[in-house]
Amino acid sequence: MRRGVGWNIVLGGVVLFFVLIITLPFWWVMSGSFKLPQEIIARVPTMIPQSFTLQHYVKLLSSSDYPTYMINSLVVASVSTLITLALSVPAAYAFFRLRFPGREALYRMILLAYAFPSIVVLIPLFGMFAKLGLVDTRTALVVINVSFALPFAIWMLRSFFGSVPMEIEEAAVMDGAPPLVILRRVMIPLIAPGIASVGIFAFIMSWTEYVFASVLILSDAKRTVPVGFSGIIGQYQIDWGLLLAGASLATLPVILLFALIGRWFVSGLTEGAVK
Amino acid sequence: MRQSRFYAFVFVAPALLMLVAILGWPLLSAVLLSLQDVRSVGSEGSWVGLANYRKVLSNTAFWNASWLSIVWVVANAAVQTVLALAAALVLNQRFPGVRIARTWIILTWIVPTVVVVMIWRWLFSTSGGMINPLLIQIGIIDRPIGFFSSTWSAMATLVFINSWRWFPFIALMMLAGLTRIPSDLYEAARIDGAGTIKRFTRITWPLLAPTLGVLVIVGTLLSFNVFDIIWLLTSGGPAGGTRTLPILIYETAFKGYRLSEAATVAVLASVLLMAFAFFATRSLAKQGDER
Repeated sequence: MRRGVGWNIVLGGVVLFFVLIITLPFWWVMSGSFKLPQEIIARVPTMIPQSFTLQHYVKLLSSSDYPTYMINSLVVASVSTLITLALSVPAAYAFFRLRFPGREALYRMILLAYAFPSIVVLIPLFGMFAKLGLVDTRTALVVINVSFALPFAIWMLRSFFGSVPMEIEEAAVMDGAPPLVILRRVMIPLIAPGIASVGIFAFIMSWTEYVFASVLILSDAKRTVPVGFSGIIGQYQIDWGLLLAGASLATLPVILLFALIGRWFVSGLTEGAVK
Repeated sequence: MRQSRFYAFVFVAPALLMLVAILGWPLLSAVLLSLQDVRSVGSEGSWVGLANYRKVLSNTAFWNASWLSIVWVVANAAVQTVLALAAALVLNQRFPGVRIARTWIILTWIVPTVVVVMIWRWLFSTSGGMINPLLIQIGIIDRPIGFFSSTWSAMATLVFINSWRWFPFIALMMLAGLTRIPSDLYEAARIDGAGTIKRFTRITWPLLAPTLGVLVIVGTLLSFNVFDIIWLLTSGGPAGGTRTLPILIYETAFKGYRLSEAATVAVLASVLLMAFAFFATRSLAKQGDER
């Protein structure tokens, strides 16, 4: 589509606005984490660092269990992602294709999961996990993360199944293949981008989860990054350099993940969702 | 048919069991809890009927929190919809770097909330933050202001931060709706001499409206339940000015040790939210039928 000069200027202005509002805070944090303390709190802030130091990172890694938090988060998020996929792919296929009584009612009830404050379940769940001996375990976090990612995962995957041309599936049905074989041999390869984006969604949900992890994890060695990081905030007098370094490190893994497969997530969201 | 039912059961049962155990059952126990007088986790309570409901409904803190929740949801919906729609429309254009922009716009959403909170607390702070000096330089203010020290500015700042985190996600969902609009419609309109604005009001807007409706519902549910950003930044303060329902529930349960009362507030909030979701999806479906 052709645009006039005026529209190009408007477009450029809006793009610039969004680029600034999204990236500027991250730039300030990342560059700030390498500045000397006196430059961080200077009256006139500097856009480009005038000093360079690694002291904040050294202090962070020597005075806290940050590496442990990172490993915990990676393990919890990866396991949560795998389980979410293992449960949601067959369920979404059943909700999409198989006929069974109460299908639509069940599907709607699953989506209602987001219609109540998650704080509500925190109170009874704490009691339940205490009885099962799951308080202060990473298993508890996996269980929680999977449950909260599942409804969205099922919803999104169902619309991905919907985007597969009918004829392909019908050919397999004609051949007399049972649902499990159709799902595994035909459908899953076809909706691989959808599965990738649901996987990223589950990973990020788990990586960023704070409330449940802060209540259910008691010992320092089992903390995830969000909880460990907020512990550092409270632990010291506000030491911005330390916090900026911590924020940068907590952001790095998701940025790396996204640099590798972020494209899938976005094309998945835009091609599969909202049907 | 019988075989299909068997597979449906095998496919759905594991996910469903998980949801029932971790979300369904606790929800039910929250309802039961609201009918008792349990004070802290693990202690036993006796049945008190609807006493908690009478107590909560006559409590001004509950009505204040409900009002603040409504303010919070409406303000977030307004800010996020405007930002997201603008971003989605831009991302639907062709310009150098659009692919990179489509991927990285989501950056604010993939970062842990704790980090988001820290970033903005720093940027808004009166010592070392970037925003006060910036506003002073531009000349909007002449001395640093404490963004979290008065109720209205605290609320507005929180809405800004939460919207900053969520609008890119909503924008990508809108972009999904936009890319579904067939491009020959625009071609035809252009040949008929329709300008950019007319193309937007006659094609883009009506075809995007159902998607927008769904997103407003989803966004409302998501922002109603936001807890961590508010809790970590203001803990409901100053003077209860940002104490929305989730904050009130948490405070009542874990600071005030009145579990049953907290469960009562939670049940009332859920009823409110489910009623909203029910009627909103229904009216949306009706509109869809009429189209």
